[in-house]
Order: sequence, then C-alpha cells, then structure tokens
Amino acid sequence: MLGLQVTTLFSILVITAVIIIFLVFVNRKLTRFDPMDEPKGIVLLMMVAVQMIDGMVRDKTNDKVAKYLTPYILSVALYIFLANIAGLFSLDTPTSNYSVTLVLAAVTCVLIEVYSAKAKGSKAYIKGWFEPFAPFVVLNIFSKLSTLLSLSLRLFGNILSGGILMSVIYQMLASVSKMIPLIGDFNILGVMVAPVLHFYFDLFSGLMQAFIFITLSISFIGKELPKEE
Amino acid sequence: MEKALIAFAAALCVVAGCITGLMEGKVAITAVDNVGKNPDAADKIQSMAIIGAAISETCAIYCLLVAFLIIFILGA
Repeated sequence: MLGLQVTTLFSILVITAVIIIFLVFVNRKLTRFDPMDEPKGIVLLMMVAVQMIDGMVRDKTNDKVAKYLTPYILSVALYIFLANIAGLFSLDTPTSNYSVTLVLAAVTCVLIEVYSAKAKGSKAYIKGWFEPFAPFVVLNIFSKLSTLLSLSLRLFGNILSGGILMSVIYQMLASVSKMIPLIGDFNILGVMVAPVLHFYFDLFSGLMQAFIFITLSISFIGKELPKEE
Repeated sequence: MEKALIAFAAALCVVAGCITGLMEGKVAITAVDNVGKNPDAADKIQSMAIIGAAISETCAIYCLLVAFLIIFILGA
C-alpha cells in the first residue's frame, strides 16, 4: 500500500512504455497528416482530446500559460487514466500506491507555486508567505500542504477503495459459488457479476478521477494568476 | 474481543460518509436546478459542481483511509 513493490514498478514501466509508443505512433501519423484532408481515426481522436483540454485550460488561465500547461495536463490525464484501468489488464494499479499519487500531486503543487511566483514577482511572492503578518507563516505552510495532501489522497483513496471492494466481492462470490455442485471450484458467479462492477470501479471511476485531478489542477493554477479583463 | 473492537472502530469511521453522501447529493440537486433555470451556463455549472463534489468528497475519503489504516495496521 505504501512501499513500492516490484509488481507496481513493473506496471509503472509498462504504462510508461505504452504511453511513449502510443505518442510516437500518433506523432508519426500527425506529421504525415495533410491539413487539407478530413481528419479521421486516431488523428481525429487526438485533435478532439487536445482541443477539449486546451479549451479547459484557456477557460481558467491565459493564453501564455495555456501554451505550456496544456501538454502537462494532457499527459497527466493520459497517465492517470491508464494507471487507473491497469487492473483490467492484470497489472498492478500504480495509483493505489501512495508514492505514485504523492508524486503526481507534488508536481502540480510545484507548478502552482511556480506560476504564483511568476505572476506576483519574487518579492511579493515571498511576502505572500508572511501574510497577513509574520506568525501566519505556519498557517500558510499548512494550507499549502493541505492542497498536496487532499490532491494525492483523493486519487489514492478512490482507486484503493475500488480495488479492495473488488477483491472482497470476488472472495464472497467464490465462497457462494462453492455451494454449486459439480462446477463449484470454478468461480462462475464472479464471471457473471464482476464485469458490471469492473465497468463502474475501473473504467468509470478511473476516468472520473483523472478528470477531477486535472480539473482541480487547472483551477488551482488558474487561481494564482492575475485576472484578465 | 480485541478484533471486534477494531472492526467496530473501522465501522464507526465510515459513518461520516453518510453525511458526505447527503451533501454531495445536494450539490447535484443544486446544479440540476440551476441548469434548468439558465441552460446557457451549463458548462460552467458542470465544472463547478464536479469540483464542489470532489472537494466535499475528500472528507469521506479521509474517513475511509483511516478505516483502512485501522483494519490493516491495528488488525494485522
């Protein structure tokens, strides 16, 4: 749950390799793509995805920030989604390991601080830690830490609880289907009931958590930027 | 006896989830009401509702994590 096992490391490496191969493949398709043609297949899918994320980022931040933030947000969304559904491919789920989600949340928190420092200027940024007066620095540190904790624990808790619930349900169904004569050793009820639950706990919850993570990242970063008219 | 106490403590932790469930439902109700009133703002209301629900869900998830810790560390 907390320490990194070899199986988790293996599934992290597999997911990273899958993402790299997929993106190289898409890149080759996109460089050969003629802008006059009608986009279809994987090119159309990536265009829609990039446009959606870009629209979300531009909605909350300004154009200058969006140019650098959109690639990060899209790659994080891809990684978290693939990591959440890794259980379906009999890999370990990396996001049910707290180290992984803590790193993902820490990257977002560093980005929040960097954009806040860039927007305010370094002097006003350092002064912001001591506002409204000097002893409040402790409270400010805790408020930054709470962002980190809530971002990482939300993802971790959701995926971990889904995984534990699924394993409990499998055990229960296995013990129930033992009562069926002749084919009792084969977990037949599990085969019948589990796919629906996998659809909810792995696919739906995985997509939802990836979406929530990027939405919160964008709005936390957008909150630090100066208002545009 | 000790195991029963540990199980009871874990169950007590998750009780906080029911209030979170109620209030998350309230977020959804308010969002649906307001989309009905002005459908033009549906996109903004949707993203705000998701953020609100996610933030209020954090409380329930902390309780769940405490329950897991009680089960897996105290109960081991």
